[in-house]
Amino acid sequence: MTDKNLNDRIERALEGLLPEMDCQALQAEIVSNPTARAAYTERAWLHSQLRAGRDRLPSLLAAPVTIRPKRWPIAAAAATLAACLTLIACLLFLPRHQPVPIVATLTQADNCKWAGSDLPTKVDSKLTTGTLALVEGIATLKFECGATVTLEAPTTLEVTDSMHCRLVEGTVTADVPEQAHGFTIVTPDIRVVDLGTRFGVTAGSTGNSQVRVFEGEVEIDGLKGGKTKRLTEGNALHVGSSTVPAGQEPTRGQQVQETGGWTAIPTSFGRGKDTYVRRGDNGAPLGTAPLLIVKHSEIPASRTNERRAAIAFDVSQIDLRKLTEAQIVLDPEPSGFGFSALVPDDSRFAVYGLTDESLDAWSETETRWASFPGCTDDGPELSQVHRLAEFWIPRGGSGSSLVVRGDALADFIRSDTNGLVSFLIVRETGETDHNGIAHGFASKEHPSARPPTLRFK
Amino acid sequence: MDELPTSPESATEDFLRLLGQHERHLAAFIYSLVPRAADADDILQDVKVTMWREFGKFQPGTNFRAWARQIATHQVLNFRRAVQRRPNPTLEDSFIEAVAAEIDRQADDLEHRSDALQHCLQKLSEAHRKIIVWRYFDNCGIDEIASRSQRSSEAVYQLLSRIRGLLNDCVSRQLATQNS
Repeated sequence: MTDKNLNDRIERALEGLLPEMDCQALQAEIVSNPTARAAYTERAWLHSQLRAGRDRLPSLLAAPVTIRPKRWPIAAAAATLAACLTLIACLLFLPRHQPVPIVATLTQADNCKWAGSDLPTKVDSKLTTGTLALVEGIATLKFECGATVTLEAPTTLEVTDSMHCRLVEGTVTADVPEQAHGFTIVTPDIRVVDLGTRFGVTAGSTGNSQVRVFEGEVEIDGLKGGKTKRLTEGNALHVGSSTVPAGQEPTRGQQVQETGGWTAIPTSFGRGKDTYVRRGDNGAPLGTAPLLIVKHSEIPASRTNERRAAIAFDVSQIDLRKLTEAQIVLDPEPSGFGFSALVPDDSRFAVYGLTDESLDAWSETETRWASFPGCTDDGPELSQVHRLAEFWIPRGGSGSSLVVRGDALADFIRSDTNGLVSFLIVRETGETDHNGIAHGFASKEHPSARPPTLRFK
Repeated sequence: MDELPTSPESATEDFLRLLGQHERHLAAFIYSLVPRAADADDILQDVKVTMWREFGKFQPGTNFRAWARQIATHQVLNFRRAVQRRPNPTLEDSFIEAVAAEIDRQADDLEHRSDALQHCLQKLSEAHRKIIVWRYFDNCGIDEIASRSQRSSEAVYQLLSRIRGLLNDCVSRQLATQNS
């Protein structure tokens, strides 16, 4: 006969309610004492059988109650009968009519910050219907139907039921196994119905949805005129036409004195400038775009999407001899291109300084891939540039500003002789799929975010 | 003990069939060693993948469950070892090994207990069934059941523990009757 206290401790341990110290004491007892070991095995097995056989429970328990020996007051009996009928009705229609069904589990959250979510945001949380708002990072939900949905910040997703979710705004990728075909993502302007796939969806709050199919096929409903379209592997669809914030004539930035002896110079100050280029560029130079976009890929299919950025700061009014510390601050902004989930790890970027000062004259309105300063087609040309620093952006992005610093950066600025310092920004991390993300940073033409800024003291 | 895989071409089919037959047992085994639900489910996934990879080494006709348990024990230990901060790693490893060995030893008996449990579940009162469905089918934690049923968490724990006690007693009685 096992003692009551032992059973209680075992039961509590199975529910995770036993304090750590008691838990260790119990484990030690189970290791050394055969009676305790047998008791634990018996109880744990029962609990585990119930868990492992959970799919059989509704049918088993829907069978009529076999014993009802006690004489109960009529009212209680009637209440029990009513409860009985309700429960049996529930069980018969399970799982569609559960009172508060678990819809999904939050299985992974890297570097996540959440806001305005009415669902739990701890890893392993069971989610019912509700809204998740991811401000920073990358998070994965596993729906009960088996579909996996990865959110890339900034994204707001409403979990509707185990087969549906609504992308209020942002970017998600979905991986849908066979048993979950029909899994549907609704955006402000369309419905994307899975037909056995991996796919990605990006949507703005007013629509402008983009769908890209990595594998398999999806059906898109709710297009203009009630049309339906099938999209197959490797294809993408862009719905709606709300415009990207257009480049606007910037107001020239100011040099700012900050506290702690720091001075801040944005690329919009004086002769400062910023631009980016794309290997496959066939349109106008991108110097007046609101974003600087950077991407690296060794995959042939996305080689033409390789992008590099250049920024220059006007330091002509600075006494560089007194400079002891320097930083470059970049504000990450979603580029709208690609999916973070397809870049294997955190992404590494390098910052190069243009040592050949004759190249400082690059023009924001003319620079293209071929004329990009300090680089050949393959990458930075080390006789003209010097690698000064590297920085990382975690998978799923970083909502806060990036600060690049280091002695090499300060040394490089101190050695300037023409009042203009130019830097190149390249990504060094490739991607596993040609739909991998392109990282964006605010340029001086961005309507709201801070332009690249040089801080020093 | 188990049907033999016939040809290499049908290995996938054989594997899936055996896994289907024994998956519940394998899951219960891992759940018994790893109380934390999410960890256990991750391990279960890994174990299935490893089993498929190693299926070539499985001797047809030998005990598939024992083979599966062996792989699972190994995987559970590896998984736990990868956890950075464990309060008492040596103890935890001994615990996992001791319980795995106990389940191995009692495998047949536990199988009978699983069968008897199906019967005993049907003897539960309606109120108790509801708690079992919430806890296991809906996969609710104690706290969630507490808020659903407007009881305190401790009261729910007491109730749940009592229901499992009743089930366990019923299972033991069933086995005693069968053996007598």
